[in-house]
Amino acid sequence: MNAPTATKPVTAARAVLGVTGAGLVIYGLLGLPTQLGAAQLVGLLTWMACAVLLHDGVVVPLSTLAGAGLTRIGSRLKPASAAILRGALMTGAVVSLITGTLLKAQSEARTISALEGDYAANLLWFWAVLVMAAAAAIYAIERAGRAMSETGDSRQKTRP
Amino acid sequence: MQRPDPQKLTEALAARFASPTRSTRLTVVLGRWLALSFTVCFLTGLFSHGLQNPPSWMFFPTSPVWIYELSQGLHVTAGIASIPLLLAKLWSVYPELLKWPPVKSIPHGLERASIALFIASSLLQLTTGLINTYKWYPWPFPFRETHYWLAWVIFGSLLLHIAVKLPAIVVNWDRRAVRAAGQHAAVKGAGGSPGPGRPEAPSAAGARGQAAAPGRWSRRAFLAGVGVTTGAVVLTTAGQSFSWLGPLNLFAPRVMDTGPQSVPVNRTSADAKVADLAMSGQWSLALIYGGTRKTFSLAELRALPQHDQELPIACVEGWSQTARWRGVPLRELVSAVGAPPRSALRVTSLEPEGPYRLMSMPPEYVEDERTLVALELNGSVLDIEHGYPARIIAPGRPGVLQTKWLQTVEVL
Repeated sequence: MNAPTATKPVTAARAVLGVTGAGLVIYGLLGLPTQLGAAQLVGLLTWMACAVLLHDGVVVPLSTLAGAGLTRIGSRLKPASAAILRGALMTGAVVSLITGTLLKAQSEARTISALEGDYAANLLWFWAVLVMAAAAAIYAIERAGRAMSETGDSRQKTRP
Repeated sequence: MQRPDPQKLTEALAARFASPTRSTRLTVVLGRWLALSFTVCFLTGLFSHGLQNPPSWMFFPTSPVWIYELSQGLHVTAGIASIPLLLAKLWSVYPELLKWPPVKSIPHGLERASIALFIASSLLQLTTGLINTYKWYPWPFPFRETHYWLAWVIFGSLLLHIAVKLPAIVVNWDRRAVRAAGQHAAVKGAGGSPGPGRPEAPSAAGARGQAAAPGRWSRRAFLAGVGVTTGAVVLTTAGQSFSWLGPLNLFAPRVMDTGPQSVPVNRTSADAKVADLAMSGQWSLALIYGGTRKTFSLAELRALPQHDQELPIACVEGWSQTARWRGVPLRELVSAVGAPPRSALRVTSLEPEGPYRLMSMPPEYVEDERTLVALELNGSVLDIEHGYPARIIAPGRPGVLQTKWLQTVEVL
């Protein structure tokens, strides 16, 4: 039997998507120099390169390092608790990343009726709620797990 | 001295970044979410661009009055949602970056080059798009033009990427097929990586996406984490665009019901250098049609029948605010100089310079009775920051085209 990937509709869809996609990319790339000067294009390329270097060289290695630490901590927890711990930290990290940019902008470019919130305090509140919710969920899961294992142990002990 | 083998080095590095949570199925699921959010951004962005730089075939819907509020709110919210989705998607394929040799053939090199362009453009687009909503411009290129052309590059790259990866996408699209492949592999004891176009046998993450190695998380748990993170960034920022999310608005640059007369401001009178002209007692609004020129002082405009409209003002940066506007319907002023209500207009602001000093208004807005030359906002005379003595407010238009500090209205 042929693999599903070799079907005619898939091949046709690939051709249409590929040609359309390449056309749009070329359209966008040719459009950029019509409105950006040489120095601006160099600036754009520099920013693009920095974005990739920052992501590939800093964000992913740091998150991998954090993940390794969490594996060590999480191995003592139930799988659901470990997942909640990781999920809470992921949520907090991404919200902090966005809010960090917001705080930097606030220090640079405050304008009338924009950036007027107390974002640092909001971020602290956000983390407080996140930590409490995650801790409560982990506590409930671990406690339920312990109770179940104790029930199992006592049943085994009473078995003739 | 022995030279290090790059292949062994990259393999060792890839092993460091290995995670059983990563799988083709995970990447496909994340890719679907990201493709959806990118498509929403692209289409709503084109709509906004079309309203501001209309091609000959452009349509101008005036109903529902919140159409631009919705489309631009979706644009910015989907862009913010894309941030965690893009980070998760790139994390899921990170070991691919470390494969050696980096280029195996010309087609492989082209594919990698297209992916590099896709990733670099996407990271930059989301970062600058977010920072633009903060009205902070630390980069050496114009935002609007770059954002527009990069959008074509990114959407084209997305289609190209789907074309290249379609075999893997097709077989990993359905959870049941992936699960069946996992069971099949388990029965046969097959090892190694699946061939191209074959469903990937789930590893430690388990065929059902639930079981995970101790301390790690399963694919399903990872996806749930990404979903919660995306939900968190959306819920805590979208309140600037959608009033029902206002109470959760913790991290958006704008808050509804703030600013003069409880409406946020983008361009101030100081930025526009209009304060002296706008506050002058000599101000009047000139209407021009062919050889006819008629002027209306502020008192004369106030003496005309006044109409009330509840209309949102929605900015390209995503924030919006519904408010009560009071003034003279524009079509009545156009009729006063003998022009038909369905006329195109050129509107000029008192601003001495700036990209929005001149505004073209298509006939769809002019003939709509809800389009006002507004003199009051939320029950009191327009604040100077909102365009005193008179401004345009029309249904379904970008905020930058709701010209403030009116000077002339010319029928084309």
